[in-house]
Amino acid sequence: MVRNTNRHFKFDWITILLFFLLVGFGYLNILSASHTGTDINYFDITQPFGKQLIFIFLTFGLIVLLLAIDAKFYERFSSIIYIVAMLSLVGLFVFGKNVNGATSWYAIGGMTIQPSEFAKMATALAIAKYVSDLNTNIKSFKDQLQIFIILIIPAILVLLQNDTGSTLVYASFFFVLYREGLPKFYLTIGISLIIVSILALKFGAIITSVTGLVFLVAYHFLSKKKLKIFESIFILLAVVSISFGIKFFYQSILQPHQRDRISLWLRLEKDPAKLEKMKQTFAYNLNESEKAISSGGVTGRGFMEGTRTTGKFVPEQHTDYIFSTVGEEWGFLGSSFVVLVFVLLLLRILHLAELQKSQFSRVYGYGVASIIFIHFFINIGMVMGIIPTIGIPLPLFSYGGSGLWAFTILIFIFIKLDSNRINEW
Amino acid sequence: MAVDDKNILNRLYFVAGCMFIFGIAVVFKLLSIQFLQGEKYKALATERVVKDVVIPANRGNVYSVHGNLLATSIPRYDIRFDALTPSSVRFEKYVKPLCDSLSLYTGKASHTLEKDLRRARINRNRYYLLARNIGYSDYMRIRNFPLLSLGAFKGGLIVEQTTKREHPMGGIAQRTIGYERIDDQGNITRPGIDGAFGVKYLRGVDGQRKKQQIGKGQWKPLSDANEIEPKDGYDVYTTIDVNIQDIAHHALLEQLEKYRADHGCVVVMETKTGEIRAISNLGRNKNGHYYERLNYAVGESHESGSTFKLMALAAAFEDKVVDTSDVVDTEKGVLSFYGKKVRDSKRGGYGKITVSKAFEVSSNTGIVKVIDQGYRKQPEKFIDRLYEMNLNDSLSLPIIGEPVPIIPDPRVKNGRWSGIALQWMAYGYGVSFTPLQTLTFYNAVANDGVMVRPRFLREVKEFDKVVEPFERVVINEQICSKETIGKLQALLKNVVEKDHGTGHRLYAKNFSMAGKTGTCQKDYRDKEKLNYISSFAGYFPAENPKYSCIVVIHEPEKGIGYYGADVSGPVFKRVAKKIYTDTPLVDEVASLEVQAVDVNEDYENFYHTAQTYKTIMPNLIGMPAMDAIVLLENMQVDLNVKLEGHGIVKAQSINKNKKLKSNQTVVLRAS
Repeated sequence: MVRNTNRHFKFDWITILLFFLLVGFGYLNILSASHTGTDINYFDITQPFGKQLIFIFLTFGLIVLLLAIDAKFYERFSSIIYIVAMLSLVGLFVFGKNVNGATSWYAIGGMTIQPSEFAKMATALAIAKYVSDLNTNIKSFKDQLQIFIILIIPAILVLLQNDTGSTLVYASFFFVLYREGLPKFYLTIGISLIIVSILALKFGAIITSVTGLVFLVAYHFLSKKKLKIFESIFILLAVVSISFGIKFFYQSILQPHQRDRISLWLRLEKDPAKLEKMKQTFAYNLNESEKAISSGGVTGRGFMEGTRTTGKFVPEQHTDYIFSTVGEEWGFLGSSFVVLVFVLLLLRILHLAELQKSQFSRVYGYGVASIIFIHFFINIGMVMGIIPTIGIPLPLFSYGGSGLWAFTILIFIFIKLDSNRINEW
Repeated sequence: MAVDDKNILNRLYFVAGCMFIFGIAVVFKLLSIQFLQGEKYKALATERVVKDVVIPANRGNVYSVHGNLLATSIPRYDIRFDALTPSSVRFEKYVKPLCDSLSLYTGKASHTLEKDLRRARINRNRYYLLARNIGYSDYMRIRNFPLLSLGAFKGGLIVEQTTKREHPMGGIAQRTIGYERIDDQGNITRPGIDGAFGVKYLRGVDGQRKKQQIGKGQWKPLSDANEIEPKDGYDVYTTIDVNIQDIAHHALLEQLEKYRADHGCVVVMETKTGEIRAISNLGRNKNGHYYERLNYAVGESHESGSTFKLMALAAAFEDKVVDTSDVVDTEKGVLSFYGKKVRDSKRGGYGKITVSKAFEVSSNTGIVKVIDQGYRKQPEKFIDRLYEMNLNDSLSLPIIGEPVPIIPDPRVKNGRWSGIALQWMAYGYGVSFTPLQTLTFYNAVANDGVMVRPRFLREVKEFDKVVEPFERVVINEQICSKETIGKLQALLKNVVEKDHGTGHRLYAKNFSMAGKTGTCQKDYRDKEKLNYISSFAGYFPAENPKYSCIVVIHEPEKGIGYYGADVSGPVFKRVAKKIYTDTPLVDEVASLEVQAVDVNEDYENFYHTAQTYKTIMPNLIGMPAMDAIVLLENMQVDLNVKLEGHGIVKAQSINKNKKLKSNQTVVLRAS
């Protein structure tokens, strides 16, 4: 390989650079969002910025450890890592500590650890291991079911702990499986389901059903590839039942706060008084974060100069709403920079994954990219109101030791696997 | 894997494309928020940080008839400490002096307080409680403590003001003066006057002012003036007389405790005007203590018992079915109607007695017989006569919870009529009135037949301006003929005055009272649960009455006593006696003269001594020290007078009758 002949440069330094750009910039924003006065003690461990700095320092040790371990270890022990991670999630029901309505933490001494963060990495390893197995055929229904079970176990466990955001992360493995040859059929179904659900909620079940019928008729006359009549009827029935079913799901199964969020997102509430009330309650965060972002302008107000940031208008600004700090203090340019770095990181990981010779490494690489992407997608989408509010941190950026370490492990295992690719040759 | 190269590439592009497109979408949304809709969000940002703040109006006061405060609103303060706001330098510099000051205030040790404050700072407590529910003077004091005196932004002082309703007279007449209470569910309880007039007069109109957020939790007024000025509530002047209320309350309490009764009430009403001077309602709680629980006087309707005999006879006299001097046979104290028996409290009955005496001794058989004979054939006539005296009407009080009286009526479906209804009604069973309704009738008798509505309010004022006066309301100009009224008044007077009267125990030589006892059985359908309601209703003085009064005590302990005269009568008597002695009938100049005599004696003594002793030491013992000094200093020789103590001279250093020299020192000891 031309790229890295020197032993010291066997790691992909571009990924590492992007990683540290995000962590470093994240720290600056946490500092800005959580400091309380003018005299700042950077190592004050009672403050989020002080803790984060220590987490970052400890990350270096973690990285050295991860890169020192033999690459084969990760593949060989992936099943065990997965089982340990699942057990730690189950253990939460017994030993877990409740924070903000979610029982997702272990309290050890003065520290709290969130095992669901690490479970994502473990699942990525397990999926990579299973898919890359020579006996696995992703086109067979039996194997699809197996993969589905690997994913659904952690998804259900975190859902039971009221951590909706983390549940959605497991949906992101769809990208991985799609790349590895999952039939297009699933993609069609997935996208149709989302479109029909949104239409049904926004415009009502009847309009959606009629629209479905019109589309089928139009398809029949315009397309060369005709559907059989029972296929058409089946699709129509599916559309109708989903349209009505989603209404029931929305009204009877979703919890009130989830319903409110969706209602706000789809602009379902028309009563101005109720809208005003929404803005003052659950939509308060979103409103405040949008205001903070809008007050940033092109270049922003400058580091630690954001009035809405230092005034603590945005709740949870150092965790889930950290992007609003970027928006206010660093402006359009700063925010675009963060988005750019994320997109570059994702594309870089995908690029590296495609270069892998071992299918395990490739699948894992896709898993890493998918997990980071879904976090990025949900978090930024939520902060800017593109999607309904779902609590999830911005990877490498938001405050939190578990999150930072889990993403460090996730990424650096991949960097190690990638470097091994060179060694193998 | 049967995935060809082109397919793989497509799939790769799809995945990468999704991520890339989302990145682009985010950038567009950013552009939209910051530039396209920037103005909208900026407008929103300023608009949302301005809010309308309600300025609560001051609630009006409730006064007694003489202007004593019965209920008022006063500001109370909670003082909290933002332990993070002071800088480290300031905190270290002032924490000790602050804790010393707080220690003096709270009585807690200074070092404990310091430990707590330091812990609060470590725990990042921005809302540490220093003092709760303190008054204005305490607030002014704490505000000037070290560190806190630096204010909110440097010293971390947080002050929260609340307004609290206070009753300066304590629990007296609490249910009638009332209050407004809101529970967790937002249900509002408003008993009494405060409740009845709270919304209309006392509450006032809240003001409004715009405030702008200038940081977390900090709001500044947007302009100098309020957008809407708060309009304070009006003051309500009640008819309650604090002195009478006090005596009524304590007299009732004493009897309740003595007879371990369940509950009771007493109401005092001015005869001419219907103004309620005192209303006390005491009920027993689980621990056996009594306090104002429910407004029994207004809200509790019960069978009257013997006090209703007055109403029954009023009807009978008016319809001329009987007269006071008619003789009635009480038939050995037992009468039987359809197998049900009417008994007298005295075994064997009273023999043949006049109607008048039957009332005075409260003979059940006597009165029942009179009514039975008079109205058996036409009970409607009796009922109509009661109706004419407005006995079936409620009093339309502003205080909520007054039930309508119950009078059985044969013409009404479900009118509670039965074969024995008339007879039982005659001695107060089957009918039901509240104490206040009964009192209103007795007051009408006292008031020569003019029935006036009981009133709790005299006027509503805004400062000195009368907003709404409450005039006397006449329910019935003449409930029955003057002749009947005269007979009724005589009967009531006899109850107390005559030796055989059931109320004779209340008799007092120097002032007159008139009234009727009532001892009514309660829950008589079940022998186990049988209890009594002891009451006394009447007025005083018996001639030219000024006040009427009713006392009702429920469920006195049977072993101790239950007759109306024993249980309720003493409360009535104490109230009457107190008002009688407090009301000056003659100007007592005599006592003024007594004082004048003392002063004159002093002066004469002084004058005589001053004239007699010019160079000889007089006897000053027993003389006011001031007089003694003046006396010595006016001697013909110059003396140095020294006084120890003050008051009356007890000792003098030079004995009396000794010759005095110039510049001699005289020491007087006084105490």
